[in-house]
This record gives sequence, C-alpha cells and structure tokens, in this order.
Amino acid sequence: MTNFTRRSFTSALALGVAAPAFLRNASAQSATIKIGQVVPITGPAAEAGKYAMAGAKIALDEINKKGGILGKQVEIITEDDQTTNPGAVLAFSKLATNPDIVAFVTSIRSTQVHAMAPDIAKIAKPTMFGGTDPTLTKLGNPWLFRCRPNDTFSGKVIAEFGVKELGLKKWGIVHSTDAFGTNGMKALEASLLALGVTPVAIQGYANQSQDFTPVVLALKQAGIDIISSYFTFENDLGIFARQLRQLGVNAPWVGSPSIVNTTAIKLAGAALNNTYGVADYAEESSPEAKAFADTYRAMMKVAPDNQSSWTYDGMNLLAVAINKAGKTDPEAVRAAMLSIKGYKGAEGEYNFDANGDGLHGYNVVKNVGGKIEFAKHIEFPA
Amino acid sequence: MDMVFQLLFQGIGIGSVYALVALGFVLIFRATNVVNFAQGEFSMVAAFLMVIFSVDLEWPYWISFLLSLGGMAIYGALFNLGVYFPLRHRTYLPVIISTIGASILVSNSTLALYGPQPQVLQPLLDFPGFNIGTVYLDAQYLLIIGLTVVLVAFQYWFFEHTLLGKKLQATSQDKEMASLLGIPVATMIMLTFVYSAMIGGLAGILVAPILFVSIHMGGTIALKAFAATIIGGFGDVAGAIIGGLALGVIETFGAAYVSVPYKDGFAFLVLVAFLVFRPQGIFGERVAEKA
Repeated sequence: MTNFTRRSFTSALALGVAAPAFLRNASAQSATIKIGQVVPITGPAAEAGKYAMAGAKIALDEINKKGGILGKQVEIITEDDQTTNPGAVLAFSKLATNPDIVAFVTSIRSTQVHAMAPDIAKIAKPTMFGGTDPTLTKLGNPWLFRCRPNDTFSGKVIAEFGVKELGLKKWGIVHSTDAFGTNGMKALEASLLALGVTPVAIQGYANQSQDFTPVVLALKQAGIDIISSYFTFENDLGIFARQLRQLGVNAPWVGSPSIVNTTAIKLAGAALNNTYGVADYAEESSPEAKAFADTYRAMMKVAPDNQSSWTYDGMNLLAVAINKAGKTDPEAVRAAMLSIKGYKGAEGEYNFDANGDGLHGYNVVKNVGGKIEFAKHIEFPA
Repeated sequence: MDMVFQLLFQGIGIGSVYALVALGFVLIFRATNVVNFAQGEFSMVAAFLMVIFSVDLEWPYWISFLLSLGGMAIYGALFNLGVYFPLRHRTYLPVIISTIGASILVSNSTLALYGPQPQVLQPLLDFPGFNIGTVYLDAQYLLIIGLTVVLVAFQYWFFEHTLLGKKLQATSQDKEMASLLGIPVATMIMLTFVYSAMIGGLAGILVAPILFVSIHMGGTIALKAFAATIIGGFGDVAGAIIGGLALGVIETFGAAYVSVPYKDGFAFLVLVAFLVFRPQGIFGERVAEKA
C-alpha cells in the first residue's frame, strides 16, 4: 500500500477544487445537448409519468429531426421522483451533478417544485415546470419557468365565462375545505365580485364526504342558476354530481380542471353531461394542440392531456431559447426565454412575463356525453 | 317540509350503512372483548372483490355477489387465524394493535394492487330511484334500508332461536363456562369472525355503487360505525342499529341546518357527549346487568 503523504493529499484536494472548471470545459465539448427530466416512474403518479415522458420524447424527436439545438443532437436524461417530495429532490440533485445537462424539465406537482426550488436556485440553470401554485413564480427564484397557466387564471376564466358568455348571475360555489379548494373558492369569489356579481351560496365540504344532500338542498334553496366547484377528490365530485341531478338541479356547471379529468368522468358518468370545465390543454383549441394530439395518439394510443402537453412545450421552449441565445450559458438562455413572445405551443400562446409565467389564459371545455369538446379560449394580458 | 323528509331518508340510508358495520364491530367485541380496528377494511375488501368478479372478469352480478360474500367468509376465517388466534391468551392490547396492523397491511396491499384511483361498481338494481312529491328516493339506499331490516330480523332469529346462535351467545357471555359445557369456544369465535366479515362485506358491497370503491371507503365508514356502537352501548346489537341510524340522521340534519364542513364534527360531538354523560350508551343498563 502506498503511503498517503501530505503532498498527495494537497494535490488531490487541488484537483478536487479544480474539477468543476474542467468539467464545465468538458461539457462545452460534449457531443450532444443534454436536458434533465424529473418524472414519476414509480409511485401513484407513475401512469402520469409515462405521459410526461412521452410529451418530452415527441418534442425531442421533432427537435432532432429539424437539426437539434445549436447544430447538435439533443438527449433527455430522466430520473425517477417516486411521486414524493424527497424523491423529487433526490432525482434533481442526481441530475444536477451531471455538468453536461444544460437545462431541466421537472414536475407538474407544485409541492415537488417547491421542494426542488432551493436546489434549482443553487445549480442556476433554466428549469421548466408544470405546477400551478401561483406563488412558485414569486419565490424570487429566477430559474423557474412555468409551462401551464397558474391557478389565479382558473377563477378568472370561470367567472368570465359564466357571467359574460352564459349570462348567469346567481352563483353557487361548492368547494373542498382544504387549501386547494378554499384558495380556489376565494379566487373565484374575488373574480366574481370584480364583475359585479355576489355569489348567493358558498358551500364548503370536508374531503371524503359520503353524502352531499345538505349541500344540494342549500343550493336549491338559494335559487342558484349556475354552479361552480373546486373538488379535490374525484369520488367526492362523483357523489355530488349524481345527487345534484337526482335532486333535480340542472343548472349549468362550470368546474375547476378536476371536473374534466378521466377518472371524474368515469365515476360520475351521465351526471356530468353538459358541464363545463377549465382545462389548460384542449385538443381542438389550436392547430398546434391538434398536431400534438395526432402525434401523441399515434404513439401512445390514448388521448393526450396536460400531463404530456406541458413537457412537450417545455422541451420546445428550451430549444427555442437556447437557439435564440446562441449558446448554452444559463444567463443567456434565461434572457432568451424571458424574451419569448407569441410562441404557439400545444397548451397555448407563450408570452413570458418577468416572473417566468408563460401562459395567461385557460380553455373552457364542455363534457358532451362523456367526450370533452373545446368551447372557448379566454386569455388575459400578460 | 319536503326538505325534512329528504334529509330524513338520506340520514336513515347512510345510518343503515353505519349500523351494518357497527353490527360487525359488536359481534367481534362480544366474542373477544376486543375492538377490531380492521372492521372497515372488511367492507373495502368485499367491494374490491365485487370489482374483480363483476367488472374485471365480467361475471354476472349475482354470482359475483355470492362469490364475494364467500370470499369474505374465507377472509374472516383467515383474519381470525392470523390476527386474533395467536394472541388469544394475551390481554386485549396486543390484539387491538394486531388489528390496527392488519388494517394498514390490507389497505396498502390493495393500494399496491389497484392503485389510488376509485373504481366504479354498478348498482344491484337497474333503475336509479323515484320521486314521491319532491322527495327523491334513491333505489340503492332503499335497498340498503330494506336489507338492514331483514338482516337484523335474521340476526335476532339466529341468536335467539337456533342452537348455534345460542352457543355463540354463550361463548360471548362467558368463555370458561361455555367451554365447561362442551361448546368449542375457538370454533365459535372463528364463526363470529366469519359472520362479522360477511356482514361488513355486505355493507361494503351495498354502499360501493354510491360511494365508489376506494381503499379509503372502509376507514371513514368504520370510524362512524365505531361512534355508533358507543352511542348505542358497546356490545349491544340493538344499540348498534339504533346508534347507527341516530348518527346518520343527526349528522345529515346538522349539516343541513348548522354547517356542512362540520358534518363529521356533529357525529363526534354526539360521541363525546355520550362518553361524558352516558358512557354506557343508550342500552347501557342491559349491558350492565349482563356483566
């Protein structure tokens, strides 16, 4: 065994300190442009993770077919977030140790993005995400770019659509009493008040309620002519929808995104016919959304949804920004990303604001006999 | 006035579900002096068995129904052998912890197999319900109320008028004496678990078309059923039924006339009031006499 001298120790130390500089140099010469993706491969959201990977893969193939980024082919390196916050942090730090990775596409879950945010700030490279908690782009973290409309827009769009499009003024709001439902209700109420409408009934319920008869009867007594809802769990939504129709309330219903997801439609069945929901991705909303849907369907044999559309847009936006910057330097890419205006993605038209929010509107969709049809896109100025 | 009837119907409907699950609690408590915290999972497992037989395998509803109940009988026997029997000579505490462990194991195994998405189970009857005036009567709830009445009547006849029922009663009242009289105590307790699993399973299958099938379905119902047994008087069959119905009605009216978010609060407020002012429950004296 060789002696471990003080000199060998100091030289090893020096090498260790200098290593990042060498690696950074090496990355410039790497043959491909590498993008890191954090997705749930295991855990409850594993199914959604598959969709997210497919969305990114479709963008990747299109980018490479068009000649890649800065003339180099692009490669995605994925890490499993296990559908947990610690898993997401671990996955991100694993990717962060790879100096060849120039940017990241991360999670659709706000809580996971919150968990990763400190590490993202430390590594200081552009990071695309899909969580819709409005505070995420107000953390003072300059590297976060959102590829979905944030939650403040859902309330605005529901109010705008119900009051102006449907012309209805006697609002009943049903919401879960958890953080999501209560914040959603407050945002919607504020948007309605801004339009000069005071809701006639606001009914909160605790998650996992078995019976909504009292809620439905209260709506009925208040004489509502339109219902809006923020449901957290699909089974609550399903029970409410059925009891609502059984007790003879047939008023139009404009719900938060959960009302148009496939589980809710499966559980509630016909009770959700002719209801409206807000959705960030709608197949018929634009030619770009339609083109994405066609490719996705051919590849995955199922209908696309927002799990895949935002990763598709995220990859494409990174390609546009890096090409525009002309180099992979994080600061330059960030500046290029913030200057993107009028980029037409699958989710909608991206106009990045100073906070890093790319989208400022929602689609309103209608459930017609279990099929989701596009009704209207409502956009707000960035 | 219509609103009162509507709420009353709904309260009795959901109360019947609590009553059925409470019945399972009481039977096991009487036989073993232990609260089975995995009682809610009996309902959940049965509902998932229904999903496997009638939805996944597309077998006829009635065959699936019988198979599920049969499956629950086996499950009850296994539960007895695995969770209660090895600890039968210990105090009640290890047994209670053992049932809690079983509850966690079963619900997480189901989660691993079926995932977190709720499943749909079609109702037994094809027609959804009908109106009397403006009061809507849901067919599934009517079925639940009807079957609860039938089951309570059956249970009364079984325990009071059959030899097996009397042996079970004797076992629950005094195991040593029953054993001296030649009653096979271990077998009687096994049968109690089997019957309790089937009754809990029946509640699960009946309520599944309304509440959907998910791993959480058992937990919420069992908690209310547990409260119902305390209100009724722990260990009393009639008390469990009355307690279940009362709880269903109280929480439905409380939600309608006071506050919906605090619906579950009313149920447990009643529970606390009973624990403080009448810990023996509605039918307390009879239990006291028996003791």
